[in-house]
Amino acid sequence: MEGVRYFDIRHVRGEVSHIDIENTRVESAGTTFLDRAIIRVLGPKGWGFLAVDHFERPRGRKFDELLGKAAALGSLTGEEVVLADAPAGMLPVPHRKVDPLDIDLEEKGRVLLEIERAARLPAIASTRAGYTEKYEDVRFEDSCGNEYSYSLVRSGYSILAVAERSGDMQIGSKRQHAIQDFPLYHRQEDGETAARRAIALLDARRARGGIMNAVLDPELAGVFAHEAVGHASEADLVQEGGSVLGGKAGERIGSGIVTIVDDPALPEFGFEPVDAEGSRVERTTLVEDGVLSSYLHSRETVPAVGFGHPGNARAMPGEPPQVRMSNTYIAEGTSTPEELIEECRDGFLLCGSRGGQVDPGRGVFQFNAEYGYLIERGECGGMVRDVSLSGEILATLHNISLCAKERKMHPGYCGKGGQTVPVSDGAPHVLVRGAVVGGRGPD
Amino acid sequence: MAPPTSSFVARWWVAVDPIEEILEAGKRRADEAEVWLATGSSVAAMLRKRKISSATGSDHQTLSIRVIKGGRIGVSSTDDPSSWEECLGAALRSAALAAPQEWEGLPASSEKTDGFVNFDESAVPDPEQVRDLVSGMEEGADRHPVEIISGNAQISQYRVVLANTHGLYCEDRESMVSMGLETIRDQSTGYEYEASWKMDIDPVSVGERAAFLAATSHGGKDIPTGTYDVVLSPDALGQLMGATFLPALSGRNVHAGRSRLAPLLGQEVCDPALSLIDDPMHPRGLGSCLWDGEGTPTGVLTLVERGVLRCFAYDLKTAYQFGKETTGNAVRSGMGGGVTIGFHCMTLDGPRGEIGGEDALWVHDVIGAHTANPLTGDFSVELANAYLCRGGNPEYPVRKAMLSGNVFDMLRDIRGLSREEKVVGCCVLPSIRLKNQKIIGI
Repeated sequence: MEGVRYFDIRHVRGEVSHIDIENTRVESAGTTFLDRAIIRVLGPKGWGFLAVDHFERPRGRKFDELLGKAAALGSLTGEEVVLADAPAGMLPVPHRKVDPLDIDLEEKGRVLLEIERAARLPAIASTRAGYTEKYEDVRFEDSCGNEYSYSLVRSGYSILAVAERSGDMQIGSKRQHAIQDFPLYHRQEDGETAARRAIALLDARRARGGIMNAVLDPELAGVFAHEAVGHASEADLVQEGGSVLGGKAGERIGSGIVTIVDDPALPEFGFEPVDAEGSRVERTTLVEDGVLSSYLHSRETVPAVGFGHPGNARAMPGEPPQVRMSNTYIAEGTSTPEELIEECRDGFLLCGSRGGQVDPGRGVFQFNAEYGYLIERGECGGMVRDVSLSGEILATLHNISLCAKERKMHPGYCGKGGQTVPVSDGAPHVLVRGAVVGGRGPD
Repeated sequence: MAPPTSSFVARWWVAVDPIEEILEAGKRRADEAEVWLATGSSVAAMLRKRKISSATGSDHQTLSIRVIKGGRIGVSSTDDPSSWEECLGAALRSAALAAPQEWEGLPASSEKTDGFVNFDESAVPDPEQVRDLVSGMEEGADRHPVEIISGNAQISQYRVVLANTHGLYCEDRESMVSMGLETIRDQSTGYEYEASWKMDIDPVSVGERAAFLAATSHGGKDIPTGTYDVVLSPDALGQLMGATFLPALSGRNVHAGRSRLAPLLGQEVCDPALSLIDDPMHPRGLGSCLWDGEGTPTGVLTLVERGVLRCFAYDLKTAYQFGKETTGNAVRSGMGGGVTIGFHCMTLDGPRGEIGGEDALWVHDVIGAHTANPLTGDFSVELANAYLCRGGNPEYPVRKAMLSGNVFDMLRDIRGLSREEKVVGCCVLPSIRLKNQKIIGI
C-alpha cells in the first residue's frame, strides 16, 4: 500500500480470572474477557498506531482502510524510523505442568483458602489472599509475511497477613507466580510464613539510616539488577538520551565480579516465545565482568543506538511494544552468604522487596526491603523493619564486592510508560559497600 | 478549536447498546443486575527528543455486568459488548462463588443523575490538537538550556452508561487532556505533567517547568544528614499520601483490619489546621461526578475536619456488610471490572499562605513512594529536584539525599499550605511545609 513501509498486527484474546479472599470470606471471584489489538504502520517517517477493542481482521479494501487510518496518524510524526532485520522464529511454549485451565475456580478458591487459613495465627488481625490467572491467545502478522500464534497461561497468588499489637501493625507477605503451571498446591506453609514474619516485625527495630555496608538477599539483589541496571540498559531510553549508561558501550561500569543477564528464553515468569514485533528471543549479557556489553533492543532501536540485537520488544494486549526486560539476573559468584555477612562486618542484611523505582537519566535508584537484620561484627543480629536502599547506579556497581554462589529467581511485574508486563528478577546474595540505607530509627 | 477528524471522534454508535436486553436477562436469572458500559476514543502523540516518534488512535469499549443473587455478588467484564451473554454467564458463576452477605439493594433512579460535570466539548481527540500540545511543550522547554528526553500528549473522550434493574439509568460524558515532558541537562533530569478534563492547560508552561527543573538541578551539592524543615510539592505529597493515608480512609480496609486509622474515629489524627475533604464537584477534579460507580448520588465528604477523623469512605457492598451507609465512593476499578472504594477529588484544606519564607529543603518529587509501608506509613524515599533554600531563596540544588519519615506522623504537625494547588491523580493538593524531617545525605 502506498505510503506504508511496514505494518504488523498483534491481537490478543483471552480470559482473566481472579479470586479475592479476605479474612476467610470469598469477597470476589470470577472471569473477565479480553479482546484487544494493536495495528502498527510505518509511514514515510514514524509510526501510526491503532488500538482497537474487539478486533476482527478485515480483508481487501477494508483492510487497506484500516492501514490508511494508522498511516494518517503516522503522518504526524517527524522521526525517521528504520527497522533492523531480525531473525524470526518462535520458541516452543513450555508444556503445562499442571494446567490451571483444567482446574475449576471453586477448586482454586478452596486451595487458596487453605493457604489463607494457615496465616490466621493468634496475633494476626487480618489476612488476605488473592489469585490471578491470565490466559492469552496471541496472534501476530506483519507485512513481511511473518505470522505466529501461541497461547500462554500465567498465574499467581499472594498471601498477606497483618499482625497487630497495642496499635502497632505490621505486614508479612508471600507471593508466587508461574507460567504454564498452577502454583497453589502444597503452599500452605506460605500462609504461616507470612504470618510469622508479620508477628516478628512487631518486635523489630527501626533501622537507623546512613551510609554503610549492606548484604542484599537474592530477591532484593534481583530488584537492584532490574531497577538499577536493566532499565538503564533499555535502548529506547539510551536513544532518547535518558540513560546514564548511554555512550558507555564496552566501558567498565562496575566491579569485575558483576555479570548481569536478561534472558526471555528462560522458562521463568518473564518468558516470551517470540517478542511483540516477531523477533526471535535470546539471552543478552548486559554487563560481563563489570564491562557494559550490550543494550536491550527492539527492531527500531538497533539502527538508532547499536550495541545489541532485537528481541526485547514486549507489550500489554492492545498496546504498542516497548523495549522491556524479561528474566533479569546477576550471575553467581563463588562465596557463601555466611562469608558475605562476615565480610560485611557492620551493616544490614536486607531481605525481600516492597518494590523500587529508578531515574535512569540521573542514574539514581531506590528500593525498599520487606525486612532486614542488623549485622554487627560479622554476625547477623536482630530484625529491623522499614529499611530501604538508594544509590547511584555506577557508584553502586563498583561497590559490589562479593556475590554468593546460589542464585534464585523471583517473579513479579514491571511498569513502564503505562504498561505492566510480567518479569522475573534474580541474583545470589550480594555485598554492597558504602550503600545509602534509609530508615528513621533513632540516631 | 480544530475541527474534529472523523475517524477519531468518539464513536457513540459503535455498540448498539444492549443494556435493556442484558438487564432483562439478568433479572430472570438473579435478584438484581447492573450494567456499566464505557465507550470512547483517544489520540496520543509521543515525543522523542524533538520529534514526534509515534501517534496512536484508540477505540475502547468495556462492558461490565454485576449481578446479586441471595446476597452473593458476581461480576464480569468484556471488551466485546456483543458477547454480553457470555459475560452475564460469567457474572452469575462469579456470584455463585462469592460468600453471601447482607444486601439491601442497588440504588433506584435518582434525580441527581443528569448533566456532565467533567466534559469539555472542545477536548476533541484530534491529531492536530495533540500535535499543538506537543509543540507548545517544546516551545516552553526552549526557555532553559536542556535537552528534551521524551514527552507525550493525549486527548480522550468517553461516554459511560450505568443502568440497573431498579430503573436507574445514568449517562455521563467525560473528557481528559494530559501531557508530560521529561528533560535532561547532563545528569540532571526534570519531569512535569498536567492533566485536566478541559482544554485549559498551557503546554508552554508545562514544557518550561520541566526544563526549569532539569536546568536548576544541575550542579547539585551534597547536604549533611540531619533534620530539616521540608516543603513537599503537590506531586511529592500526593504520592506519599496515596500510598498510605488515603487507603487507610477506605471503609473496606478499616473493617478488614488493614487501617491504622480504624480505632481513631472522633480523635485527632492530623494537625488541627488540616481538613481532608473528598469533593466530587470540585471544578478541577479529574474524577468529578454527580453519581458514583454504582449510581449513588455523590456529595462532599469531610473525612478529616480540623484534624479530627470524622468518617470513612464506603461503597454499597462494604456499607451493607458492616451496617454502615454508603458515602457514594464506589469507583469502577475493582477486580473483574467491578466497583471498589475510591475518592473522586480529595482535597487538603487549611490556612494558606507563603510557606517558603524561611530556611527549608524544597522537594519537587520523590522516587519510590510506592514502597512505603501502607499500614504504618513509614517511608524512605530518594529526593528528585530538591533545593536547599535560605531565607526563601534557593541556595543550591541537592545532588542526592533520602527523606525518611512517617506520613501519619508528618501530617500531625505542619507549618503551612501553599495557595497554589495542582491536580495529582484523584487529588487536588497544595504544597505543604513540614517540621523537622529526617534527611539522609552524606
